Amino acid sequence: MSLPALYLEEIDALSRKISQAQPIDILQFCANHFHGRLEAERNQHLASQSSTSLSSMVNPFAMASDTFPGTFGGFGGGPFDGSRDAIREEEEELHSPTAPTFKPQFSMGGMGGRPGSSGSGRRTHSPSGGGGGGPRRPMHVAGSPFLSPSGGSHLGPPSAGQDFPSNYNRNRRTSVSAESLVPTTSDDEWSPPIHPKTSDQMNRLRAAVSNNFLFAHLDEEQDSQVLHALVEKPIPNKGMRVITQGDVGDYFYVVEKGDFDIYVNSAGRMMPGPDGMGKRVTSIGPGGSFGELALMYNAPRAATVISTSSDNILWALDRVTFRRILMENTFKRRRMYEAFLEEIPLLSSLITSERSKIADALDTETFEAGAIIIREGDPGDRFYFIEQGVAEVHKSSQPGGYVRTLNKGDYFGELALLNDAPRAATIVAKSKVKVAYLGKAGFQRLLGPVADIMRRNDPRLGEGVDPLAGPGGFDGSIDVMQGPFGMGRPVEV
Amino acid sequence: MEIHGLAHAAQLPTPPPDALDDEDMIISEPADVVAVANAEPPPKAVEDCHKVKILGMGTFSEVWLVSPKREQKPETLYALKQLRKADVIRLKQVEHVQNEKSILELCRHHPFITTIFESWQDRSSLYILLEYAPGGEMFGYLRRAQRFDYPVAQFYAAELTLVLVFLHNHGVVYRDLKPENIMIDARGHVKLVDFGFAKVVGDRETYTLCGTPEYLSPEVIQSKGHSKAVDWWALGVLIYEMVLGYPPFYAESPMGIYKKIVDARITFPTWLPPNIRDIVQRLCTKDLSARLGNMKGGGFEVMQHPFFNGIDWRELESQKHKGPLIPQLRFPGDTQYFENYEPQELSADSTYPDSMLAEHDHLFRNF
Ligand SMILES: Nc1ncnc2c1ncn2[C@@H]1O[C@H](COP(=O)(O)OP(=O)(O)OP(=O)(O)O)[C@@H](O)[C@H]1O
Ligand SMILES: [Mg+2]
Repeated sequence: MSLPALYLEEIDALSRKISQAQPIDILQFCANHFHGRLEAERNQHLASQSSTSLSSMVNPFAMASDTFPGTFGGFGGGPFDGSRDAIREEEEELHSPTAPTFKPQFSMGGMGGRPGSSGSGRRTHSPSGGGGGGPRRPMHVAGSPFLSPSGGSHLGPPSAGQDFPSNYNRNRRTSVSAESLVPTTSDDEWSPPIHPKTSDQMNRLRAAVSNNFLFAHLDEEQDSQVLHALVEKPIPNKGMRVITQGDVGDYFYVVEKGDFDIYVNSAGRMMPGPDGMGKRVTSIGPGGSFGELALMYNAPRAATVISTSSDNILWALDRVTFRRILMENTFKRRRMYEAFLEEIPLLSSLITSERSKIADALDTETFEAGAIIIREGDPGDRFYFIEQGVAEVHKSSQPGGYVRTLNKGDYFGELALLNDAPRAATIVAKSKVKVAYLGKAGFQRLLGPVADIMRRNDPRLGEGVDPLAGPGGFDGSIDVMQGPFGMGRPVEV
Repeated sequence: MEIHGLAHAAQLPTPPPDALDDEDMIISEPADVVAVANAEPPPKAVEDCHKVKILGMGTFSEVWLVSPKREQKPETLYALKQLRKADVIRLKQVEHVQNEKSILELCRHHPFITTIFESWQDRSSLYILLEYAPGGEMFGYLRRAQRFDYPVAQFYAAELTLVLVFLHNHGVVYRDLKPENIMIDARGHVKLVDFGFAKVVGDRETYTLCGTPEYLSPEVIQSKGHSKAVDWWALGVLIYEMVLGYPPFYAESPMGIYKKIVDARITFPTWLPPNIRDIVQRLCTKDLSARLGNMKGGGFEVMQHPFFNGIDWRELESQKHKGPLIPQLRFPGDTQYFENYEPQELSADSTYPDSMLAEHDHLFRNF
């Protein structure tokens, strides 16, 4: 395939400039160069049209100078200067030929169709093009088409426009949405599909998804349900298309066996004809995966994937199943947290919305058997629930150390919410233990000081009953011994 | 700060437009284009509407500028949102559409939310008749200006904060804050549109992933269950985008954006005033126990942030003054602030065959 003459010309010019300038950051240099070129060319083009259109134009963006009195601390200079800005706006029109405007004669594409869906207007400023170009920090592009129209009265420094990222796509954005899902209320209404796998297969699958951030934060149960839900999909032949760029996507795939090529057509979808798939950008073998965006919502596929060997095997997972597994688990866990919280006498006066706020902010941590969760004498700043597993309470003052055993739903360290006294006991994981926890600072930010909450409306406080000696809690008594509250009796503070 | 000023925001009456601003109103200002909206009862069927122009297009909807047929001068204008039933069903958005209508009804007459006048359906579409915001989307002003000055950004952020406080007080999460959904009215105030993802959640969490990629919060991306706190996150993104011209998290691909959001690391240019930087950082906080707006003081804490220094919340809410950018309308139906859209050919997917109607139409019974 021969390259277009115009392209060769451009590349030659660039090569000459590079050998002259010997830049350190080659990529940045190229980006700047092409931006300059683009701007020059568009300006030329516009200049040939502008004499007529500009004069007939009414500037629709004039600022109102008679409004919006200066109640603001004078930042950034004076009030809005309508007339001056109006003139600048029109100049800006000329210097910013690639910016979307409202005047059709200036529109460089992307308008007039469905916003955001037309390929032509998008990514005009993307220096790399192509998928996977990845994030870049804002660049300092000389001669960027986004030079600020501003003078001294604007927000930024005089050269504010210079740090505008040239690879940001400025088009209108459309919203996205998954199917609306509501958690089932009774436990047995929905159970996730299970497609049997060998433990080898499970391990391979786990490894394949482990570095994918959509899976990274799943807990053990979600993780295993998700892996079990993956369904085998044989691709028997070479040259079979698994997904097609531009089509809507519902599945995520992991490669078990075989090889696949990934193609991207810069038009945004596969086109008819022999080169319709576009450019081959990469290939994927066993352990690789693709199509993850489909697990979030229904969006057009960003690439075409085609098999390059025979006898391939994929594992597939659909969005609704994935999202339902996550939701049902989270939902159950949240209700469990709220139930746990209800058991804590210290927090008995919380109303439902407050409990759900706390449940919302709880974090989890897992300890292996034998690990120390909190240590006697250490400063305490979190309270904990046991979500899974068994732990033991030990105290140095106790002969033999052992005090008692804690199970799912038991909590400890809640007095850390009240005071900064050191931990009065050590808690050791006896099995693998999963705890949910919240720090004192977080609690106070959400609901204010615990002392205030206790004082609120607990009638028992007035009757000399110890609210910390409730059924589920144990270490009230332990922590409290050292706290400023006497024998566990909260004091009006 | 006056707390009672905000309590008031919860049931804000619409001040009659002509009672405002006697002194700084320009006579020829087309503010009364919308003010006359109650001169005659609004139309109740699409046959009663003259479709003037498409104002906007969504995935399964079109928004039209319409005027009632048989209308005398002065002309009343409305925005008519038409949603195609087939697409609503196909994209499993039935619930969202129901929410949109019922929440708009709940918010009737809030000054910064487009008022719903009527809703109806015909065989293949649902319709929502709305107050028309002639200034177009904030999006257009922002992209043209590239950046807003601090006072401009502060003004819009403040009005939107009042909207969020109002919605949250009613147990409503909005879930799609972005410049494209913020309209500017004739006097330069904001009008929030597109309640397609709004939902009454009360104090509970909800699970459906929805929003706009750059504005999604980490808990939505990670499917952890989300609540009203997502709107405060989005406000942080919006403030950043207003003052810098681009959002804090962007990448070439949606997945690239989501990775950055989940990382929640934001870079700020050094010249950015510390108040702006601080409010963005506090709103765009991943830890829900530390996110501004989600803590004990709720929205009040947002209002008290030094970013809003100088804002008189009561005055703001009474719309005493005009906004910083006023659309210059040359005649009542002037749509220069809207992009031009070609009316779309109905795609095959959008047709609503009898079989589909028989199976699904009951879903729209209450619309
Ligand atoms: N009341 C109104 N007055 C003027 N213009 C409006 C009004 N309501 C909506 N629009 C225009 O129509 C566009 C689309 O409306 P809306 O966001 O409600 O539809 P949508 O289908 O939910 O869109 P999307 O899926 O893109 O978010 C808006 O962004 C705006 O430009
Ligand atoms: Mg919208």
